[in-house]
Amino acid sequence: MARCLNRVALLLLLLTLSGVSFATDWELSLDTRLVSSDAYPSFMDGGLGTVRFGSDDSGVRLGRARFAVTQPIGELWSAHLDASVFDDKDRSALGVTEAYLLFRPYPFQGYRFRLKAGGFYPPVSLENRASGWESPYTLSYSAINSWLAVEVRTIGLEGQLDWLGTRTGHAFDVGVTGGVFGWNDRAGVMIADNGFVITDRQTPLFGRLGQPGVPPLNGAEPFMEIDHRAGAYLGLEARYLDRAVLRVLRYDNRADPTQLDSVSHVLAWETRFTSAGLRIEADHGWTAIVQWLDGDTTIAPQSLTLNWPFRSEFALLAKRFGRSTVSARYDRFTVQTNAPEAYGSQDGHAWTAAYVFDADTHWRFTLECVRVSSTSANREDQGGPLAATETLWQLAIRYALGSGR
Amino acid sequence: MALLFLLAAARPALPATLVVSVQTADGRALPGAVVTVRPLDGSGRHAAPLRAVMDQVNRSFSPDLLVIPVGSTVEFPNSDSVSHQIYSFSPPKRFQLPLYRGKPYPPVHFDQPGVVTLGCNIHDEMLAYLLVTDAPWYGRTNEGGSWSTEVPHGRYRVELWHPRIRDDEADLRRELTVGDADRAELTLRLSRPPQPAPLTNRPHSWDY
Repeated sequence: MARCLNRVALLLLLLTLSGVSFATDWELSLDTRLVSSDAYPSFMDGGLGTVRFGSDDSGVRLGRARFAVTQPIGELWSAHLDASVFDDKDRSALGVTEAYLLFRPYPFQGYRFRLKAGGFYPPVSLENRASGWESPYTLSYSAINSWLAVEVRTIGLEGQLDWLGTRTGHAFDVGVTGGVFGWNDRAGVMIADNGFVITDRQTPLFGRLGQPGVPPLNGAEPFMEIDHRAGAYLGLEARYLDRAVLRVLRYDNRADPTQLDSVSHVLAWETRFTSAGLRIEADHGWTAIVQWLDGDTTIAPQSLTLNWPFRSEFALLAKRFGRSTVSARYDRFTVQTNAPEAYGSQDGHAWTAAYVFDADTHWRFTLECVRVSSTSANREDQGGPLAATETLWQLAIRYALGSGR
Repeated sequence: MALLFLLAAARPALPATLVVSVQTADGRALPGAVVTVRPLDGSGRHAAPLRAVMDQVNRSFSPDLLVIPVGSTVEFPNSDSVSHQIYSFSPPKRFQLPLYRGKPYPPVHFDQPGVVTLGCNIHDEMLAYLLVTDAPWYGRTNEGGSWSTEVPHGRYRVELWHPRIRDDEADLRRELTVGDADRAELTLRLSRPPQPAPLTNRPHSWDY
């Protein structure tokens, strides 16, 4: 599957670079960071830090180098590819975060249908609304959306049916979304082995977490199919004009927690969650977002059943003044467990404040501070303190080019 | 809804000036409302068809509302560097303009009266309206909430339309006589607050 996806990605890249169609839309961006951190090493470095950059990362770092292309295929189909380099901590520095085909027939009598096939994010986040699944408000995503970025992706099919009330004289649109997917049987390993984090590192499709041989994550691969049972989700969305969006989603990867991968002998993690979110935009540049996610993940090796219920919520308030956006977000997160020695239990909260300045269509400057206070049984187990507060400052300079800029 | 009808000095030989003012429920002027005026004497007058342009700039339609007489044509150039795919599923005119940039398509002909809602199948936030009218006199209220035209003396039906108005259709219709005076005024006051206006200055890179 990974090889197949890489071939599709390469084909799309070649099609784009050869300028095959006048309708190709593309984006290219480079985001560099000046980092100051007192945090523990991040999960990609084998640590249990709750932010993307640990104290060893202080200095100049790559935020993200990104290339994305949308290639129309005929009138109603299009192919989308989002490829990025975040660092060199995965098998390959360059990875594909999303790659999918989109079928987009014209709306008919007020109804619209969309079908996506490939690898992409399920419709949960109300924060990651910018291209590249980035947040226009902060560099680091909320704990909920950081978790999705790290180990949740739909690798399968998603259908969406919308009633376009706003196109038929009403103030509301209403939609229902359903997805079936595979290759996400290890979603949950991050929650138990590491816990929630506040990051903007998106694991590429078929990428890994942490480093092989370095506990706790040991290079775990979240995008694996172990039990050959498809997962599914069902979501509802309601919109009021262009002012408010309400999203609810029930997700179940339907993994069999007793199953082991035949090659690597790692366990499948049965992960289920319900999420709900509301985003309200008002005059004078105000935006408010609240999201909530509640779920659990389970493994059942031999006669044991180990379970980690988890929950997180956040509230974000942002205001735009011309080219500037000021945002503040408060996150809460908790992981409980019945595992011995409370392995994986975590409790914490985080404050994030960011100032974004869009100098023009190409240059963006962002200053952000994230402060996470948490207790973590795993951190104590590794010889660290049970309770810790970590602070990360980042100054990001991003240059972007594209057909739409 | 309040109705004011004032008669001034009489000059019967010349057309009279009809002034229509539109106010919100709290008494503020409503700019951009479409006013149509039809004679009730069955004269069968129509406005001459137009050749209009609805551009696409910065992932928005420009203008966001066009009023055209029945029989008019509208060109839909795309001035953006990204492609658009324009559609309408409104009963007066169903049409689609497949993915394009620039000006590859001939103008679209609108031969039935009614409201045509326009969208882009790529960029959901794009929304605009065409009001195709068979009224001989039509226009939009200015910043002060008023619009005026010259009409012969006679009886008329005045109708109001705006995509954000929530009043019942019947409450947005008035009949009046333009008598011997050279000026007639009509003030329509809405009973319900209009929907909020679309948000502006949202960065275009926001997809989700």
